[in-house]
Amino acid sequence: MRELDFGYMLELFPILLRYLPLTLEMAGAGMVLALVLACLLAVIRVLKLPGLNALTLLFISFFRGTPLLVQLFLFYYGLPQLLAFLTQINGVTATIMGLTLHFSAYMAESIRAAIVGVDRSQTEAALSIGMTNAQLMRRIVLPQATRIAVPTLMNYFIDMIKATSLAFTLGVTELMGATQKEAAGSFLYFEAFITVAILYWGIVELLAWAQRRLESRLGEAYRR
Amino acid sequence: MIELEGLIKRFGDTTVLDGIDLEIQEGEIIVVIGPSGTGKSTLLRCMNFLERPDAGRLRIGDLDLDVTRARKAEILALRRRTAFVFQNYALFANKTALENIAEGLIVVNRWPRAKAHSRAHEILERIGLAEKANAYPASLSGGQQQRIGIGRAMAAQADVILFDEPTSSLDPEWVEEVLGLMKQLARERQTMLVVTHEMGFARDVADRVIFMDGGRIVEQDVPSRLFTQPRDERTRDFLRKVLANQAASLGPEGSHSRGEPDNGQDSIKETP
Amino acid sequence: MLRTIALALALAGLGTAQAQETPLRVGMSGGYFPFTFVKQDELQGFEVDVMEAVGKTLDIEVTFVTANFSGLFGMLGSGRIDTIANQITITEARQQQYAFTEPYVYDGAQVVVRQGNESIEGVEDLRGKSVAVNLGSNYEQLLRELPYADEIDIRTYESNIEQDTALGRVDAFVMDRVSASQVIQETPLPLALAGQPFSEIRNALPFRDTEEGRELRDRVDNALETLREDGTLTSISERWFGTDITRP
Repeated sequence: MRELDFGYMLELFPILLRYLPLTLEMAGAGMVLALVLACLLAVIRVLKLPGLNALTLLFISFFRGTPLLVQLFLFYYGLPQLLAFLTQINGVTATIMGLTLHFSAYMAESIRAAIVGVDRSQTEAALSIGMTNAQLMRRIVLPQATRIAVPTLMNYFIDMIKATSLAFTLGVTELMGATQKEAAGSFLYFEAFITVAILYWGIVELLAWAQRRLESRLGEAYRR
Repeated sequence: MIELEGLIKRFGDTTVLDGIDLEIQEGEIIVVIGPSGTGKSTLLRCMNFLERPDAGRLRIGDLDLDVTRARKAEILALRRRTAFVFQNYALFANKTALENIAEGLIVVNRWPRAKAHSRAHEILERIGLAEKANAYPASLSGGQQQRIGIGRAMAAQADVILFDEPTSSLDPEWVEEVLGLMKQLARERQTMLVVTHEMGFARDVADRVIFMDGGRIVEQDVPSRLFTQPRDERTRDFLRKVLANQAASLGPEGSHSRGEPDNGQDSIKETP
Repeated sequence: MLRTIALALALAGLGTAQAQETPLRVGMSGGYFPFTFVKQDELQGFEVDVMEAVGKTLDIEVTFVTANFSGLFGMLGSGRIDTIANQITITEARQQQYAFTEPYVYDGAQVVVRQGNESIEGVEDLRGKSVAVNLGSNYEQLLRELPYADEIDIRTYESNIEQDTALGRVDAFVMDRVSASQVIQETPLPLALAGQPFSEIRNALPFRDTEEGRELRDRVDNALETLREDGTLTSISERWFGTDITRP
């Protein structure tokens, strides 16, 4: 067994760090857009809006039912063969789009569950004092649904950060792509991949810490 | 003045309200009694449009509704004039006691925050929970939660407060404080329509007691007559059973206890 | 940042009209030593040097786009790059779809095993063995064309076939001889060549088979010819491989 090349790891670390912003940018943009889309889909599902509800079900079924990589290939390589202008979309944008569509399908379902999970009698109470549906959603249901949904949504965000590693397949050199290429140059696979693993791990731990703080703040009202 | 005319509500093939006519004077306290599943809760919920009635007229002050044609704005107006107290309190879990009371004032009546909060503080004083202003529902006892629930209804300054079995979910030790608050409101001549199994409360506080069975008002009268000389066979039957259960607690002073054992299921059956 | 990227891409798209100014967009995996790889965040290798020389000859800018190998042909097909410089082997199937330049690398398919594995001494010993090839590379096809292909357990990999062979997860991998020798020489992995190359491989640059693509191909072909004649190709090859792989 050979010895670990710690020097190489220390050298590699700052190099990989340069690709972290792109990884976080894609995951961050993907998360924000997916949240918006997922809320929309969830509300359509909860209110069972005629027509739109069926479309939403189809959307969720497709994007949950096929692998993210297949979707990325379809949008980035497949569709441009049919619609030439899509070539204008670059890899970063395509990745963000793919992450948005894919994860919003999952998130819509957990947001829907969270909305339904808010005690129905509070809805009646809000209506009984004369609130409109929109006021009821904004003031009573969504704040409480948020608390219910945060743990699962955070899981999806963590998943999304890791899923950005697929972007290298679309020609975007992010954290994972950079590592693969560096490993190809040094053949120090273990050192390269353990370094990138530590980086991912560190980010996720940081997020978990933020999540604990957020949950504790949102849970303030529920402590006895 | 409030007036219901021919109010009908069906759930599928079952007619839950079968033509209810009712007049309520300003400041009147009415208690509705009757066996489980006879539409008492549904009547209250229809008056607040938590259930949409299938036919009938609803008049509250200058608001006159044909229920089949009620528009959104009319429903909202109706709800502002009828406050509701729920069996299970239904407080907003994400809001403090103070915010629960102020919420409607801010969101529905568009009061400035400060004014709404100072009004909510006054109400907290009146219901004896000033020191719990910043407590969340989860940290309050059932009795305290229901008093906040009543406080929320008081804040609305509605023409009538509808009480849907307000003590049925409470542990016995909390019943008294809630009934006490309701009596206080009665003394202030707050118009109230109360569905309850607390016969002592009905006897002591109500101006009029209504007995419902099979989705209809069977008879109504001042409590002294209705409890002692019921005219209808069904009323006699019901009172015999209930009063036998509550005999021990219906002494000369008319102190109270929990209702008969099945009371908790009542509203579940009526609101599928 | 996104906007700048989008803008740059839009401008690149508009630029196609005035071909002179458009940079030549070259796709490669960046993970194929020593043809294309990264050290200290710097893309380098034989292919990089060749393409830069081509760019200099034609007096056009060359931009490199790295992507997982399995994404490269998709990028070419969807017009996001102009060609692939990743030791692309000319095959019949590919020739039907792409316009290739003349070959600029001549090589053979090589079986590589873990050091000390004496059960495999060439391609004829692969019966009943597991053999790794890179996904999207043409070595899988080469193996499938063997008369006893049914008896070979062919495994396709996204990357790291050298590592898995060194670890013993597969019995062998197949790669071109040149890069295989390079891997063995330059890395700490315990690997050895097994026997002689079993098929001649000619590598060239694929372009889209459109009028525009063929025109670009012709220009690059001319540049390669110039570089071959003036000895640039040979010197680049010798720098990376110690031998001239650019001639048959």
